[in-house]
Order: sequence, then structure tokens, then C-alpha cells
Amino acid sequence: MNQGYSDDIIIYAAGLSKTYRRYKKKEGIRGSIEGLFRREYEEKTAVNNMDLLVQKGEFTGLIGPNGAGKTTLIKMLTGIIAPTSGELSVLGFTPDERRDAFKRQYAVVMGQKSQLFFELTVNDILRLFQAIYEIPEREFQENKRFFVELFQVRELMDVQVRTLSLGERMKMELMVALLHNPRVLFLDEPTIGLDAVASRQIRKFLREVNRERHTTILLTSHYVEDIRMLCDRAVVVSHGRKFYDGSTTELFDRYRLKEDEDMGAVMERIYRDGDAAWLQETPEAGGDGPDGKEE
Amino acid sequence: MKKDKCPCRKRKRQSETERGSENTYFIPGKAGYGRGRPGKYLRILGVLIKLRIQRLMLFRLDFLAPFFVDGSLFAVQILAFDAIYGNVERIGTWNRGAMLVYIGSFSLLNAVSMFLCFFGVVRIPEKIRSGELDLYLIRPVSPLFYLSFEQINPGSLPLVGMSLCMIGYGMWTGGLRPVGRQVAAYLFWMLLMAVLYYDMEVLMRSLSFYVLSTSRMDQLEEASLELCMKLPGTALYGVYKLLFYCLLPYGLMATVPLQSLIGELSPVGGTWAAGIVIGFSILTAVAWKRGIRRYESASS
Repeated sequence: MNQGYSDDIIIYAAGLSKTYRRYKKKEGIRGSIEGLFRREYEEKTAVNNMDLLVQKGEFTGLIGPNGAGKTTLIKMLTGIIAPTSGELSVLGFTPDERRDAFKRQYAVVMGQKSQLFFELTVNDILRLFQAIYEIPEREFQENKRFFVELFQVRELMDVQVRTLSLGERMKMELMVALLHNPRVLFLDEPTIGLDAVASRQIRKFLREVNRERHTTILLTSHYVEDIRMLCDRAVVVSHGRKFYDGSTTELFDRYRLKEDEDMGAVMERIYRDGDAAWLQETPEAGGDGPDGKEE
Repeated sequence: MKKDKCPCRKRKRQSETERGSENTYFIPGKAGYGRGRPGKYLRILGVLIKLRIQRLMLFRLDFLAPFFVDGSLFAVQILAFDAIYGNVERIGTWNRGAMLVYIGSFSLLNAVSMFLCFFGVVRIPEKIRSGELDLYLIRPVSPLFYLSFEQINPGSLPLVGMSLCMIGYGMWTGGLRPVGRQVAAYLFWMLLMAVLYYDMEVLMRSLSFYVLSTSRMDQLEEASLELCMKLPGTALYGVYKLLFYCLLPYGLMATVPLQSLIGELSPVGGTWAAGIVIGFSILTAVAWKRGIRRYESASS
């Protein structure tokens, strides 16, 4: 990891780990009865001793198969969950303290969770976000105009969100997230479920936002194409560990990745060609963890 | 990586203003707009109310039906009251009019809760289980505030009006003529009891941070409310008094305001009630904050 720190460091993580506890129920009714009195739990490591340094303005891609720990990492970076161990600083804040001053400076778009009210129009929803982020009217109008032009959604601003296509909805998610000019944008699978045309459009807009507004972007995806088209830097994670961190071009060259490849096949080749001995040592690691609640 | 090299220490020393001024970004909330938390929260509440009304108005039946449903529920309450107290002139020192004020007061607490926050709070367990709470934790606003007031229900407003009418009618038929000091005391205790009512709602739902299923707690809450809405705390003795004055303090909720209105609230009773409100507020705050810290978010 780069040891030359500067004020331009947006994300700093060292030895970051997240472990979940989950209930292991024995099979059948006997197991259920036993579970009433004595429960067995196992620990599952979703993110394992990860180091990450992201500089201002970088467009970084986190790539890995399902259950690699990408979403867990994003959740820790945004303060949704607290790390089990390690050091973490985002924009100079400790994320899990969840300070408003911190939350005002980043945005998250989750491909599988919508921030929009489906019955309302985007124009109405933006007013709520204006109040939440305390955006002055002038900035609000300027930003809105900028994103309406960028996403070319003028005619969609006054229709109910429920009537929008998935691609159009994702544009609106991005607009709502970017309205307050966040310094960092976390994107968790933003192109999931989108067709090729819509994905291409979203990628183009993200590139533009990164260039025009100098927004630092951290994107997770299991689509190889997303990373290749957008990110100068790629971080490959699997089983909760960082496997590669460097130039996207070099990653594609070294492992002969193709744009339309399935992530599982890609990872298989990386394991085969790379030094993946440690992966066999920690087969239990990785994955988005369920909560360890009592039932 | 060495600990002393972590930039968080150095950067943390910078004030938010410094950070805001050294970059070219507009830092929301720092530009002179809406300074001060009460102003910000009132503005958000205003927008949430407007959006909620707009959402409800899109579905005409959904918008209008609650007015009839809540009205019908109120009528059922009146009928139940009539069946129970039709042949009873007094409960202790309370006459029929006082009982009407009691039921009206409880109904008012319930109606205000239903109007403002019940339909938001009741969704908390589902949001925790599904991981939807994530979206509330990333915004620069209290997640509990946002969750509570997101589902304001204007359909419960007529119930507020009907409860007020019932209180007025009870005072008239019961010959209750409180002086200004008593009315002020009644309003003060109603406000405190509204806080307690909210505390109880949130506390029960906060259990979802610790256990997966809390549906039995909902049933317990429903049964307790139903009983205490019909039976004043003054009619409870022994273990029931302990249960509804201490563990599930629904028995206090309308009893104490009415006692203050008719001059029957003793200093010990008042201190106990205030202590319960403070105690449950602290308990709720602790349960919520610890729960949020413990939150692991469902996998996506």
C-alpha cells in the first residue's frame, strides 16, 4: 500500500475485518428442540484484514464474485455497520460514529435498494433531499439543472417513479444521490439487472460525474465490463480478501479478462494463474453476513 | 501499516468549517441555509407531511377510507364504553363523566400517535430484518425521526377531533369545572404521556435489533392498550397495578392526566409518573442507540 499520505486521502483502511456470528441449526425437529436450550454459533469472516487507500478524485472498482465481501466493505465505509477490527477513516471521519457532518459529504447508490418513493415524482422527491441535506435554493436549482441535462431526463421529472424503466430509475437514483454534491460516491452494483444500452448510459454518466465534479467514486460490481470501462484502478476481492490492487489495464492483460465474462470464470482463472494458496487456507471467509440475532 | 500514520488523527483535528472552506465543494448544511437542528427537523417534517399527503391522494380510496375506518373504530369504542359503564355510576371517586374524559384522553393519545408516528414506527422491525434500515442510516438526519414521521396518517385526524369532543362532553356531563391551573396540569401530563406512549412504541420495536421476531410484543402491546383504554389505573390492584404502572405503564397514560384535572393527583403519584416517563425515555434511547450500533444489516 502506498505509504505517502496526504490530505487528498479520502479512504484509509488498514487491517479492516468484519466477522459475523451465525446460528447453526441441527437438522430436523430434534435440532430445533435442542436449539431452544443450547445454540451453536459459527463465525463467518466477510472482510478479512483488508488494506485500502483511495485518493481524491479516483475512480476505483471493487470487483469480485457474489459473496466476496464487496457490499460489506461498502457498508463499513459508509458507517452502516461497524468493523470488527482494523483502522478506518473516510473523509477524516470514523464512519461508524455516523456523524451528520460525515454523512453530508458522501452518497450511496445501491443497485438493489431504492431511495425513491415509487408513488411520487422525482421533482417531489428532490425537495425532500433538499431539506435533508439543507441545500440552498440556488444550489439546488443549479445541481438539478446540471443532472437533468446530463442524464437527459427532463421529460421524466414529473412522472411517477413506478412508471419508469429500470434504467431510467437508476438515473434518478443517481440524481437524488448526487444532488448535494457529495465528495465521495459509493456505488454498489449500479448496473445490476440493466440491459446493455442502459448500462452503457449509466457508465457514461458516472465517468462524466467523476471528470466534471471530481467526485471520488468507489464502485462495486461483478460485471467485468463495468470495471474496465470506468475504473483506472481495480481491486479484486474474493473470500473477504484483497487479491489484486492496481491498474485495471494491467489486471485485464495479466489475466486475459474479457468484457462479457462471467465473474465466476474470471475468479477461477485468477485462482489458477495467480498465487491463491491462502484462499484454500481460509475457505470459510467471505460473503455478506447475515445478522447474528437470537431467534 | 503503522497506527501513527493513520490520517484520521490528523484530519479529525480539522474542524468541519476548515474542511468545507479548503475544497471547492458546497458542503450542504454549512451555507447559512437552515442553520440549527430544530429548524432543519421542522422543515423535514413539513416536507414529509406534504409528500405523504401527496402519496395518499394518488389513491383516492386509500386516502378517504381511513376517515371512515377510524370513525367506525371510535363508534365501537363508544358502544363498548356504553356496554361496560351503562349500569355503573361510579368507579371509586370517578363518575360517568370522568370516565368519559378518561376514555377520551386515552383515545386522544392513541389518535395523535396514529396521526404522527405509529405507521412509521410499526415498520421498524421490517426495515431492520430486510436491511432497508441502511437507507436511513446514511442520511444526515436522525434515523428514528425519519422512520417515525415518514408515514404520517391524516386519516387519524378526525379521531383526534372526536376524542376532543368526547373529553368536552365528559366534562360537561360529569360537572367537571377545572380551573386554569388544573387545565394546564392536564395538558402538561398529556404531553408527558404522549412521550411515554411513543417511548413504548419505539421500545417494543427496538427489540428487533436483538431478536428476529417481535410479533408477540405487538400482541402484548395491543392487549395492554385495549385493556387500559377501558379500565382506568385507579381500578387496578396488586399485580395488575405493578404490571400497568411499572412494567407496561399503559395504566398511567390517561389516569394521571385525569387525576391532575380533577385535583386527585398526589405528589407521590406525580413523582412516580414523571419518574416512569423519564425512566422509559432513557431506556428507549439506550435500546435504540445500542440497537443501531449492533445492527449488522441483512445481506443484499
